[in-house]
This record gives sequence, C-alpha cells and structure tokens, in this order.
Amino acid sequence: MSEEKGPRVEMATPFDPRAAILAPGHTYASITDKISALVLTRRTPRGWFLGFTIAFLLLMLLLFTAAYLLATGVGIWGVTVPVGWGFDIINFVWWIGIGHAGTLISAILLLLRQRWRTSINRFAEAMTLFAVACAGLYPLLHMGRPWLFYWLLPYPNTMGTWPQPRSPLVWDVFAITTYATVSFLFWFIGLIPDLATLRDRARRRFWRILYGFLAMGWRGSARHWARYEMAYLLLAGLATPLVVSVHTVVSFDFAISIIPGWHATIFPPYFVAGAIYSGFAMVVTLAIPLRKFYELEDFITMKHLDNMAKIMLATGLIVGYGYMMEAFMAWYSGNPYERYMILNRLRGPYAPVYWALLVCNVGVLQALWSARVRRNVRALFAIALVVNVGMWLERFVIVVTSLHRDFLPSSWGMYRPTIFDWTMFLGSIGLFLTLMFLFIRLLPVISIFEMRALLPETAPTPGGGTMRPAEAPTTS
Amino acid sequence: MMKLETLPRRAVSVGLAGLSLALIAAFGDPEHFWPSYLFAHLFWLGLSIGSAAVVMLHHLTGGRWGFAIRRVLEAGARTIPLMAVLFVPIFFGLSHLYEWTHAEVVAADEVLRHKSRYLNVPFFSLRAVLYFVVWIALAHLVTKWSYGQDRTGDPRLSQRIRTLAGPGLVLYGGTITFAAVDWVMSLEPHWYSTIYGIKFILGQVLTAFAAAILLAAWLSRTRPLSEIATSDAFHDLGNLLLAFVMLWAYVTFSQFLIIWSGNLPEEIPWYLRRTQGRWEVVAGLMVVFHFLIPFLLLLSRAVKRNVRTLAALSGMILIMRVVDLYWIIMPAFEERGIGLHWSNAAAFFGIGGLWFALWAREAARHELIPVHDLGGLGERASHG
Repeated sequence: MSEEKGPRVEMATPFDPRAAILAPGHTYASITDKISALVLTRRTPRGWFLGFTIAFLLLMLLLFTAAYLLATGVGIWGVTVPVGWGFDIINFVWWIGIGHAGTLISAILLLLRQRWRTSINRFAEAMTLFAVACAGLYPLLHMGRPWLFYWLLPYPNTMGTWPQPRSPLVWDVFAITTYATVSFLFWFIGLIPDLATLRDRARRRFWRILYGFLAMGWRGSARHWARYEMAYLLLAGLATPLVVSVHTVVSFDFAISIIPGWHATIFPPYFVAGAIYSGFAMVVTLAIPLRKFYELEDFITMKHLDNMAKIMLATGLIVGYGYMMEAFMAWYSGNPYERYMILNRLRGPYAPVYWALLVCNVGVLQALWSARVRRNVRALFAIALVVNVGMWLERFVIVVTSLHRDFLPSSWGMYRPTIFDWTMFLGSIGLFLTLMFLFIRLLPVISIFEMRALLPETAPTPGGGTMRPAEAPTTS
Repeated sequence: MMKLETLPRRAVSVGLAGLSLALIAAFGDPEHFWPSYLFAHLFWLGLSIGSAAVVMLHHLTGGRWGFAIRRVLEAGARTIPLMAVLFVPIFFGLSHLYEWTHAEVVAADEVLRHKSRYLNVPFFSLRAVLYFVVWIALAHLVTKWSYGQDRTGDPRLSQRIRTLAGPGLVLYGGTITFAAVDWVMSLEPHWYSTIYGIKFILGQVLTAFAAAILLAAWLSRTRPLSEIATSDAFHDLGNLLLAFVMLWAYVTFSQFLIIWSGNLPEEIPWYLRRTQGRWEVVAGLMVVFHFLIPFLLLLSRAVKRNVRTLAALSGMILIMRVVDLYWIIMPAFEERGIGLHWSNAAAFFGIGGLWFALWAREAARHELIPVHDLGGLGERASHG
C-alpha cells in the first residue's frame, strides 16, 4: 500500500480547504487524542443515551416479533398466495444492499488508491456487518424453523437429499456467508492496530485486558506492519469480487425465474449499482450526524461528503438507466405480459409506490449535479434519507407488483403487510442502530493510524515537496 | 519500423483497396455485402465512440493512467465524422439487413406490427441522425478544448471539459444503448434483452482501451510519449484492462445465465443460433481468449508492467473484440445462409484503413501528450 502512490495531484499547495481530506493544524498526537477520546475519556453524551434507548426499544420490538413468529408461524405476516415473498425479502435485499458501501469503500477504493476512504472506512465496514446481520435474519426467520437452517448446506445426510444446485437461493447461502465472513475479517484486521492504541491508553484494568485481548499482541513492530499490510491488501483483493457477487446472486433470485418484471437480463448490474447507491446513502445518513455530534468535521470533511454524493449520483443514474431499460424493453418486446407488468406498475393498485420510487431515486437525485447542493450538509442529508426510502420502495415494487398479478387473472391478489411485518422491519432498524451505537461507544469510529498516515499531506515540508506517508511514523 | 507520419498514406491505400472490393460485392452479391458492411462499420464506430467515452471518463475521474493514452483516444474520437459519412450507405441497404423494413412481413406478424411504431424507416433514420449529432458534438468539443489547451495553457479548459464529461457520459450511455437496439438487436426483431446496451457499452470501452494501449505502446518508443507512458502507467492501464475484461465477462455471462435458465421461446433462439455448428466453436474461443487467458495473464504484475507483453495481450483482446461482434451480428443472417465471406474482410479492412488514416493524421497534427494537463506528471514530462 505504501510503495505505490497515485499521482500526487491532490497534494497541491496552496492549501485548498474544499479539497482537504484532513483539516490542517493536526499533529500525530491530536489525531490519536481526538479519536480515542470518544471511546476512552470523553463523557458519553446525553444524546447517545437517548438514541441508544430508542434503538434498544426497537430491538426489543424485534425480539417480541421474532418470539411470536416462532411460536405461531409465518402466517402472522402478510405473505400468502400469490405474493409469497413480502417484507421479508424486501427487507433482506434492502439491508444486503446497504452493506455494499462498506465493502466498496474498504476494498475497491483501497485498491484504487482513493485515499479519502480513510476516515469513513471504519464505520462503513461496521455498518456493512450490522446490515448483513439484519439481512440474514429475514431468510432465517422466513424458514419457519430456523433451527434447521443447516439443511441449506450440502452435506451427506440420512435423508439422502441435497440442496438444488441450480437454485440461486442456495447460491445465496454461500454468497452471503462468505460475504459476512470476509467483511468481518476485514473490519477486525483493520481494527487491530487501533485496538492496541486503546489498550495502551485505557486507564482501567478491565478495558486494558479487553482491548489487549482483542489486539492479539500487537506491538507495532516493523514486521507486524509489513504482515499487516500484506494481509490487508490480500483481503481487499478477496473482498472486491464480493462487492459484485453478492448482489448479483441476490438479483438471480429474481431473474432466474420467468416472472415478468423479475426475468430481466439487466438485473445483475442494476442490482449491484442499486446496492452501492443505497449503501452510500446510508453512509451519508450516518456520517453527517456522527461528524456533527462528535465534532469530527476535521476528519470527515466536505471533500468526503462531496465524493460520496458523486458516487451516489453515478450509481443512482445507473439505477435510473435500469428503470428506463425495464420500461422500454417491456414495451419494445411486444410481449403482452411484459407490457402489462409495466402498465400495472404505472397505473395499477401499487402505482403510487412506483411513482414515489421514481421521484426518490431518480428525481430528487438530480439535485446532486450541483456542487452547491453537494456541499450543503443539510440538503445532502435530506437527499440521502430520501434515497434510503426510495431504494426500499424499489424492492417493494420489484417483489410485490410482479407477484401479485402474473399470467392468469384468476390467480391475481393483493399484498397487505400486517402489523408484524412492520414491527419486524422497525425491529431490524433497531438492531442495526443498537449495534451502531455500541460500536460508536466502544471502538474507534475512525481509523486512527490511517488518519495519522494522511497527516503529511496537510503539512507541506519546507522543501516544497511532501513527506510520503511511508516515511511517517505510524505507531503510537 | 513504420512512422506515424507515413501511416496515413499506406492506410488510405489499404482502405481504398478494401472498399473497392467491397463495392464489387455490393453490386454482385448484396446479400453478403450488407451484413459485412454493417459489421465492419459497427466495429470501427465502436472504437471511435468508445475512445470518446474513455476520454470523458478520464476527465471525470482523473488518474495517472489516462494521460498516456489521452491523445491516442482523442484522435480516435475525431474519426466519428468519418464514421457518420460511412454510415450513409447503410440507409440504402436497410431492406437487405432488417426484416422489419418489409411491409408484408410486418403485416403478417403481430409482434412486429406492435414494434412498427419504433422500428420503421423514418424514425430509425431520425434516431441515427440524432445519435451521430450527439457523438460528433461531444467528441468535437472535448477534443477542441483539449487541443486548444496545448496552445493557450488555459486551465479553465480542463474545467470546462470536466463539466461536459458528466452529462456527456449520460448522453453517450443513452444514445449507444438505443443505437445498439436499432442497428443490431433489431436484426432479430423478436428478441430482446435489457442488458444489451450495457454489453455494447462495455464492449466498445474495452475495444478502445485495448486499441489505445496497443497504439500508445507503439508511440511510446519515442519522445514525448515515452516520458509519461512509463511502466507505471502501463501497469495502471493493465489493471483497468483487467477490470473491463472482467466486467465484459460479467455482463455476457449474466445475460447467458438468465436466458438459459428461463429457456423462453422468444429469448433462447438467440443463443441457439449462436451455439450451433461452427458458432459453438466461436463461443468456446471467446470463453478462452476473451476471458480466461487475458484474465489469468493480467493478474500478473510482470505482464502489466512490460510494455511488450501488455501490448500483445491488448492485440489479442482486440482480435477477440472483432470475433465477439462477428458472433453477435452474423448468426442473425444464418437462416438466410449468409456466413463467412470474402466481403467480410474487404469491408473490415476498407473501413479500417480509412479509420487509421484519419486517426494517424489527427494524432500527428497534435502533441502526443496533453502538455498543460498532466496532473502530477507535469513537472517530470514538460521539463524533462
């Protein structure tokens, strides 16, 4: 990582505050102090307790719903014939999609040497893990008997059965377990040097032992760093195909069938773009309050928000292209079922949802062409929230409108989510936020050592050149 | 060794010879000629607009990789007007190419009747004109401002290109998608696939990338390109080439898997036509030479950093791009008994010769490196 740097274009002097990925005036010590203080010394803000309480109550809602579900059966949800996939798959796809930003930031932006990833990668990776956890709940609970989940794995058994290898649902099992494992390893390995910093700085014995245990004996020797960098790069290489593969397999869940509105060849790239789009919207949604309440504006700068807004714009346009191609090809195909599918979306009983998704995902997004909007924190926050909602609506439209009216009018029906669908959804948001609040409180939300490596860029050396990060001391 | 300055004259003679042969075919054997001409035109057009797209992409994203191939690509983008002129003959061959131009065929077919609101000659022609207007305008502005910067050194020109590049890429994506539907997908008018536009976009960008690496490797033997087209730059280009090879394989395989598993009567014939008899061999060749071998070789650092191996690999990918386009277009005519024919090569080299002549003329007329827009490479190259 440290041997090859891209063209050092961004390091131009005089200093341009809009292009800075780390505000000027910091020293190695101030970065470590500021980030580690969030965990170790600063009083936990009252807002944290308030937020955590709300999140925790929502998590309880999830637990009650899950307990009732296991006791009663999936009949408490609104899924029935013909819409056999409802909120469970919508929320599953939504959460999995959100997770993608973390992997993209940590793996692909690392390989592309996009150094602005540094301050947002840690919490984006945490977000990925928590989103995957939320996503994983839904298929497990939808099984009705989640304790038999291992039947999904191919293993020799006395029943003499194997999972159907042609079913993308089985591919999902592998794609998602791999994704969760690699994401966790990536996040944890990235944390190790910072855990050692926390170990060294913690004042109470309990925390010293806990962080020391997690730091796995990190001493910051040159050999440790060399191995660390090697491992991190290798994991980045491994994680890169996962960014594409997971949502591709999720898209196959739909596209491999022959239902109009699901059987579309554009689904794989369109789902991947949508996943990255919703993921970045979620990172922006989390980053803006985080930097405000914890005064991290020096680390998560306008440059970060601007870049993330640009990625949202690019991926959102690809998603818009997907909507356009779906509609155009349905009309162009001349196939009456394909044409009815799009007409039903435009004018059928769920038309308001379809129009709302177009407004949220394509209409509002266009504001991000303007640099002024991208640099307006409030506007960006509002747009990110709208996109989060829009991407959920998109999955609703895909799942429900295609199933509720298929080839035979006699088998048409409507899907109505029940109260338990909603409590389950709200509950998974509670799980996500609870984990997020705990993460903010217990672990460094920004990578301390990587921020320190950025420091030389903001402090030009007298010779006019800049010190390369590799030459900078990186241990505490 | 050939020089850039002598290339136009030789290329023109190849082009004129090819086109004269093609002209013989046009009158003697129009059934074979028109598919050949369409195939040849679409390959070279893809190289031209793919070049314009990569230039815009680089303006938008920046990065060391782009400066070494900027001028090669810009010269490629300048050939779009030539391709527009060479498109004109196709209007005279529509009835040989497209089933939907025959009123009696359309009248007897319900799907084609429905499609006739989109697939009809006036609207088709209007759209073709519109596509070329958009492409010529984009390519013209982007190259004009970039060449202008060589003279004036005005940094605002870079900013202006950057502002255009975003909307420009959106326009490019939209126009090439519908152009692909009009010119290629409608050869088999019952078939449709929503990923088709993306497949074409990636195919063209990959073509432009491979060609640009090959040409930059050739030109980088001498100054000034040798100053910035270093092994570092080729390493980055190799990585991007790998990424585009993988993306191409990804969308190609996705389309195949979804249509294969659906196995619907209106979709699967496209693949049946392309996997029967000799075409199956071609499909197999593509798996090996368009994906497996480039993929495995491009993983190696040594291959990417060595100009010769990377150029050889780019050449192979370029050949496979020709094969892929041939495999997409020609089986559509299989039922009429039209396949490999000498006019394929005549049209291909005819249009290609003229393309190269214009490319070389444009490349020779300007600096081979954008002297005032080199990012961090600037100091080394301009004062070196």
